[in-house]
Amino acid sequence: MTTTADTLVDNYLRDLEAELRDLPPARQREILDEVGEHITAARAAQDTQSEAAIRTVLERLGDPADIAAEARERFGVQAEPAKPATPWLEVITLVALVVPFLGWVVGAVLVWLSRRWTTRDKLIGTIGGLSWVVAGLGTTIAPRVGPPGPAAITVTGLIIAAFVLPYAAAIYLAIRLRAGTNTVPATR
Amino acid sequence: MVSAKRESLITQMRRGTLEYCVLALLRDQARYGFDLVRSLAQADGLITSEGTIYPLLSRLRRDGLVTTTWHESPSGPPRRYYELTPAGHQALELFTTEWDRFTDAVDRLLQQGGSP
Repeated sequence: MTTTADTLVDNYLRDLEAELRDLPPARQREILDEVGEHITAARAAQDTQSEAAIRTVLERLGDPADIAAEARERFGVQAEPAKPATPWLEVITLVALVVPFLGWVVGAVLVWLSRRWTTRDKLIGTIGGLSWVVAGLGTTIAPRVGPPGPAAITVTGLIIAAFVLPYAAAIYLAIRLRAGTNTVPATR
Repeated sequence: MVSAKRESLITQMRRGTLEYCVLALLRDQARYGFDLVRSLAQADGLITSEGTIYPLLSRLRRDGLVTTTWHESPSGPPRRYYELTPAGHQALELFTTEWDRFTDAVDRLLQQGGSP
């Protein structure tokens, strides 16, 4: 039978397990087992199994974070800072920027949602992503420019550049992202 | 402010002595965790949260100062009893001798101040 009291105990032990993550597995198990046995013994020593009685037992045990802090100190373990999360938004932005047309538009928009790139980076990403619009204009103008000549060569050059720019922007942003990720620990 | 200072003072004193208090409680008899913790909790100021004793017990066991054995309990599942190893008895004896010397010296200074 599961009671509110059991739920309270389960939640407490689950919190403790999470807090103990930096300790060697054998120590985690040991402390968790012993705290669990303490709770069982405390409940057996009490006449009532009321929710209030269990809360008192858990309060006397203390905050799981305090127990874990004590354990880290006793075993000389450093608290592991949470792993830097994969920058999914930035990865998706970069992937979008290598997909022609629609991807470039999506990339040019997504780049502004990121907090890992500077405004300058974002502008470069946007210009890169949208440069094919220039290419589109170029292709419509091109037939009107007429016979091969300096003007036609310039337009063709612009078109090629416009199609290459999104990739250049993606590479640039990827380099900036890497540099940014590497400097994160130093700025803390 | 005063109570925060008092708290930090007690924390510092507790840090070095708590493990020997645990060993002392186990000197004459084996005890199970809950019993041990409640006995410690009765000593004023020794522990603030009972759960913090378990990491200490775990370390004492790793260091070979205590061992655990399972015993039947009159109520509920079997219990893990902690008892001192020979190394634990030695560590406690050493601490007791040094503690006496240390507290004597501190007491003398606290009472007479700087006067010869």
